[in-house]
Amino acid sequence: MLQRLESWFADNGWQAFAFQREVWAAYLAGESGLVHSATGSGKTLAAWLGPLAEWMAEQDGSGKAAAPPLRVLWLTPMRALAGDTVFSMKRAVDGLGLPWTVGIRTGDTPAAERTKQDRKLPSALVTTPESLSLLLSRPDARDRLCELRLVVVDEWHELLGNKRGVQAELCLARLRKWNPRLRTWGLSATLGNTEEALDRLVPELGVRPLIPSGAQAPIGISGLTPNSRIVKGVSDKKVIMDTLIPPDVDRFPWAGHLGLAMLEPVIEAIESATSTLVFTNVRSQAETWYQALLEARPEWAGIIGLHHGSLDADVRRFVEQGLKDGRMKAVVATSSLDLGVDFSPVDRVLQIGSPKGVARLLQRAGRSGHAPGQASRITCVPSHALEFVEAAAARRAALAGRIESRTPVERPLDLLTQHLVTIAVGEGFEEEEMKAEVRTARAYRDLTQAEWDWALDFITRGGEALKAYPDYQKVERDETARYRVLKAPIARQHRMSIGTIVSDASVDVRYLRGKRLGNVEESFIGRLSKGNAFYFAGHLLEFIRMENMTAYVKPGKPGSAVVPRWDGGRCPLSSEVSEGIRELLELHADGRDDEPEMRAVSRLLRLQNTWSRIPRRREMLVEQTQTREGHHIFFFPFEGRQVHLGLSALLAHRLSRVRPASFSLSFNDYGFELVSGERFDLLPLFRAGLFTSDNLLEDMIASLNAAELSKRQFREIARVAGLVFQGFPGQPKTHRQVQATAGLIYEVFARWDPKNPLLGQAEREVLERQLEFSRLTEGLRRMAASPVVLRRTEKPSPFAFPIMVSRFREKLTSEKLADRVRRMQVEFDAATGVEVEEEPGVQLGLL
Amino acid sequence: MIAECVVAGERLMLLPQKAMYWPARATLFVADFHLGKAAAFRKAGIPMPSGTTTDNVERLAAAVKATGAKRIVFLGDFLHAKASKAAPTEARFGAWREEHAQLELVLVRGNHDRHAGDPCQEWRMQCLDEGAPFGPFIANHHPQPAQGGYVLSGHIHPAVALTDGGGTMRLPCFWFAKRVGVLPAFGAFTGTATVRPREGDQVFVIADGEVIGLN
Repeated sequence: MLQRLESWFADNGWQAFAFQREVWAAYLAGESGLVHSATGSGKTLAAWLGPLAEWMAEQDGSGKAAAPPLRVLWLTPMRALAGDTVFSMKRAVDGLGLPWTVGIRTGDTPAAERTKQDRKLPSALVTTPESLSLLLSRPDARDRLCELRLVVVDEWHELLGNKRGVQAELCLARLRKWNPRLRTWGLSATLGNTEEALDRLVPELGVRPLIPSGAQAPIGISGLTPNSRIVKGVSDKKVIMDTLIPPDVDRFPWAGHLGLAMLEPVIEAIESATSTLVFTNVRSQAETWYQALLEARPEWAGIIGLHHGSLDADVRRFVEQGLKDGRMKAVVATSSLDLGVDFSPVDRVLQIGSPKGVARLLQRAGRSGHAPGQASRITCVPSHALEFVEAAAARRAALAGRIESRTPVERPLDLLTQHLVTIAVGEGFEEEEMKAEVRTARAYRDLTQAEWDWALDFITRGGEALKAYPDYQKVERDETARYRVLKAPIARQHRMSIGTIVSDASVDVRYLRGKRLGNVEESFIGRLSKGNAFYFAGHLLEFIRMENMTAYVKPGKPGSAVVPRWDGGRCPLSSEVSEGIRELLELHADGRDDEPEMRAVSRLLRLQNTWSRIPRRREMLVEQTQTREGHHIFFFPFEGRQVHLGLSALLAHRLSRVRPASFSLSFNDYGFELVSGERFDLLPLFRAGLFTSDNLLEDMIASLNAAELSKRQFREIARVAGLVFQGFPGQPKTHRQVQATAGLIYEVFARWDPKNPLLGQAEREVLERQLEFSRLTEGLRRMAASPVVLRRTEKPSPFAFPIMVSRFREKLTSEKLADRVRRMQVEFDAATGVEVEEEPGVQLGLL
Repeated sequence: MIAECVVAGERLMLLPQKAMYWPARATLFVADFHLGKAAAFRKAGIPMPSGTTTDNVERLAAAVKATGAKRIVFLGDFLHAKASKAAPTEARFGAWREEHAQLELVLVRGNHDRHAGDPCQEWRMQCLDEGAPFGPFIANHHPQPAQGGYVLSGHIHPAVALTDGGGTMRLPCFWFAKRVGVLPAFGAFTGTATVRPREGDQVFVIADGEVIGLN
């Protein structure tokens, strides 16, 4: 059978890679595994052709075979990738002359197509974890999925580190129970922890049921416990990584600007390439750069494009097609173009601002140079001085093969409750059987009986505290004691809430004449009044009115316009890049570095050294200075924004125990500062163990409560556990009476059900996800072990200044609330209007 | 700690329980009680802990005791929804009513009350539409200016944002503008909306069991 694959390859003038052959053979031998190979190296065909060969071997050659029922599920993290995947899958099916059908099922699939699939699923279905969960919520799911042979999880690294990955694990556990011989293959590029990634996908299941003797085993399956392997693919793709260094680098800003100072060099770079992808880290930056490029080169109108997640799908598809056809000279994009799609004509990638991580740098680089024999090329475009250092550090780490790991999520209870309700909406479950099944998902291997009991209680009785409430209804037990959802409205509501992606309430942006441009966060539109101009989707627009979750606009007149600020997309510096920076600074301080980026910022570094010091790797630099704002203490651990947020709250908490005080905290990727009204004498405090790891968790939690982080984290949990519903257009009014913000629900739980495990989960998620607790612990340990270099500076040093002007600020105080209030200022406004805290539409609906 | 202010020539006492007392007429004003909100959530399959109704009635009892009020005027949204008419919730409030049988209860209907319907007869609440005059005041639910008096209202669950350089804090408040006053939402399970008062408005926030004037 493999012969036929080889000859199809040969017919197309291709030759199969060794790793593709290895995957086919392993699949046919009944194995599962993980393919780790560079983007565009042929992973799709590696995973796809095995099941086709298997099917061909099963045919007895008599007569014309019909399309088989669903055999392959292909999970993709992004709807945008589905189209391309289906295209190459179909090409193989047609080339081999097979009757297989291939279909897509995602949130974008039209109703007519869904109905067709409901009658009969295609032989292979490309879908997302969310849509797979939805399939499982159908009472007949088992019948439809019982012929399944293979689940492919594409871009597994994208799912691995978040709850979507756990959702896939739970679905896989169910599918495996139904089809014990099911094989699972993960496809991944640029990942540091491949072993763990494989273990998540194909967990050790202990005793797996043997195939009963007499049953017909498909080709190659030995009937023994299937094993798994990691297949290493193509990795020797050449990548060129460099940095745009302008001639007048000394006039470069110290702190975060949009980096438009680099506009001219960027234009030159675009002109010198055939087709360029310009990546930014946040959407607002993409809008700004697109505008700036158009203003500087009006003749580029029509051949440069903009691509980000808020734009309408049609707009995005148009731009993607233009890239494939080679019509686009350049496209300004965010992470929306990070993955998968193959844009062969692109020969250069520019990264505006720091890539922050090695995997991201390589992934984005891989978007260019798809043509055979061509190298990928990525050029960093720093937006402020220290980003030169970051760019060099990221490149060094990439060359040394130090790639970030993605840490999987451990047994999230919110998702467990969601999954249990999903199954109860479908065929229902029996308790012991379901518990055993859930525990075969790697994320829930260590689930405790108490946690299980609580989850079941939560969905049946609404939690321990509610025994007295007969009105509560969600999951009930039917006459056979199976757990089921019997009320249609509850089932409908749940189906609409499946998933773990939390988005801000967003409003459609639409021209008065009808064309939809995309969507922006409601909080942004809320700040606009009639007549205000803003840039969106590359157009200058004038806001007219807001109606039914739609912002109506018309083309705007030039003048002062604002750019919407989207949150999210800002990721902290990875530990690999952090370590690279510390190393580079030391090399530079010792005069041993030879990176062009370091030479470019040598004047700034000299200034830092004169005013304060360039910290060595095993040194903890602390600066103290005084401004009108108060007394500043700066720390420079270079551990990334999230860790610094945690460390700043921790140290402020510890200092305020020495002496009651209020602190204003701010932080960036390099360090953090504490500002207070009083001066602290630090040396004795260092000696007394300010950086100690004793009582770290307790201190951390105590300081967190002050910073209210858990409450924010609860948003996602409340949504996943079904405590809040994301509004949708045209929802019935009655729904509004049972909508509340996650913040409010958090407060109610914190006060009247403080032991609720979902609150504990919020705390844990803040620690693990937001503050990267293990990295924080490591950082603190390093701080405690390193000699402290304390410098008093006249004014903030070049390293300190960007922290001072950072817009990330928190407050921590040990002062009595009422006393603090008396000192605070209320924000008065000339125009009386109601400005709402969060999710305004929802909130106003409540009033 | 209680704060006092003068509105429309009348002395008013602002209580940390989020209610307002008018001594001249021994009247307590309460806005946005939202009785049975948690019950409505439960009925829709959203688990909510118990305790919010108990907190509501206990705080109401404390406000009556602290002031010696003879009458309570609810400024709308007394009941949260039709689904709020749940047995345990009604029993809780009914028991409170029996313990305070002498009190005169008045409800000025708000938007939620219109959907939920009037409260049960046994509670003996006089139900009025918006615009009911009480001396120099007009009792409303919606904060809209009216002819012939100073409007007392609720509806928006007001809070103000306070800043002190480092951070912003949002606290529920009493907000007295020129012609309209807005009370904080009384209900234990209610959110807030941040308002921006005009210069010259009187604003009192509730923090840590104290009512604190900001002017």
